[in-house]
Amino acid sequence: MIKVERLEKSFGPLRVLDGLSLEFPEGKITALLGPSGCGKTTLLNIIAGLGHPDAGAVHCPEMISYLFQEPRLIPWLTVRGNIALVLEDKMPQEAAVREVSYYLSATGLEAYAEFYPSQLSGGLRQRVAMARAFAYQAPLLLMDEPFKSLDLRTRFRMLKDFIALWQIRPRTVITVTHDLKEGLWLGDQVILLTDKPARVARRVMLDIPREERLGDHRVLTLENELTELILESI
Amino acid sequence: MKPSIISPKLAPLFGILSVILGWQLVATLIHAPLLLPSPGTTLAELRALAGTGDFWHHLGVTLVRGVAGFGIAFLTGLTVGIVAGRFRAAGEFLRPIIVFIRSTPVMSVIILALIWFRRETVPIFVIFLMAFPIVVQNVMEGIRGIDPELREMVKVFRVGKYRSFTRLYLPGLAPFLAAGVSAGLGLTWKVLIAAEVLSYPKWGIGSQMDTARVFLQTEKVFAWTLVVIALGLIFDYLLEFLLKLPFAKWRRSAHD
Repeated sequence: MIKVERLEKSFGPLRVLDGLSLEFPEGKITALLGPSGCGKTTLLNIIAGLGHPDAGAVHCPEMISYLFQEPRLIPWLTVRGNIALVLEDKMPQEAAVREVSYYLSATGLEAYAEFYPSQLSGGLRQRVAMARAFAYQAPLLLMDEPFKSLDLRTRFRMLKDFIALWQIRPRTVITVTHDLKEGLWLGDQVILLTDKPARVARRVMLDIPREERLGDHRVLTLENELTELILESI
Repeated sequence: MKPSIISPKLAPLFGILSVILGWQLVATLIHAPLLLPSPGTTLAELRALAGTGDFWHHLGVTLVRGVAGFGIAFLTGLTVGIVAGRFRAAGEFLRPIIVFIRSTPVMSVIILALIWFRRETVPIFVIFLMAFPIVVQNVMEGIRGIDPELREMVKVFRVGKYRSFTRLYLPGLAPFLAAGVSAGLGLTWKVLIAAEVLSYPKWGIGSQMDTARVFLQTEKVFAWTLVVIALGLIFDYLLEFLLKLPFAKWRRSAHD
């Protein structure tokens, strides 16, 4: 089980995490919902080992993949080079080449393989970042509002492709978002966090198949319920 | 913008031409070759010099000194600069030392070097001390300038140290390295000649210039000066050409 226990973290006088404990079921997607700046990114960074908690424990696999809010591609490497970068130290050259080709085609990026990031649109860049995040074979994938800055169409397409890819190559996913609809569509587990310090306001498990979620009355009821919870907290 | 009378492409040519014309004009007016030899006299002197075997020997020795001095400064500066850029404490430790070296007059360094070293070594030491801080400073800035988000990315994805260096740090450093080398080399030739004039080694352009001064062969001083200018320009072009090679593809695409 991947989990965090009684995490505490302060930035100066600002208490961001105050004894937060969460569990993330393996092979499932957990959507973390909460207001901007409530400590979601801090939590992800602690799990990824980019930050250290003041107190508490993290139980997670050694290898972790991360789909950041920004694409974070190296500008002087091609699309292929950017994906290969995260694989080459972990497997023989031929295997890396094969893997890169697989994920390029799985994400529909074959035609852009030799392009540089500066030649791609924002949506395509984020798609490359997604291919990279999946290509890196870690049992846990963290996502920090990766679809936030995309336009609606691009965003829906990315979400659909993400789920399709995840179904072929499943792994535990923790995704942070402040979009209720996105969280309720993606998550097997949906956790609503309060504002600083982050506490669990509501936790639900969803076992409705994703293709049936759009317009499902249970999901809509849940959405209303969560909206009310958020409104009450203001 | 108003269209200019001469095209911007030809303008530098006119610039050079006007300097030569001005030089010729002043030389004709004062008519004292001992003070100011004309361009023609200088060129003739240069041609005569180039015909001697000694000319190439002097030029070669000076060239080797410059390359050696700057090469040492570059390699040590690169190493120290990377460490100073990666670790904040190391950078802060170095800062006063670098300011100290940079504030020392070139002449003090040359004179002290004359006391400490053999005359052949003096110019190399002086170049090293002058170019080293420039390289360190540029490399340090370059390392610090590498996007922290990309640094985090290679850390999360556990990209090996060697691969991180060759794929992220080194290319990110390239423009700063270029600036450091350009500024350092520019200084190298000037400092080198000054050091040679004062240390007076057996072979070297600086020694030849000093000899010419003693015998009042002003046209020789001018001829050698032209040689040094040419040396600097050649290295500048060489550098520009070399730097365009590895990242040309990416640069071109970035401007699409």
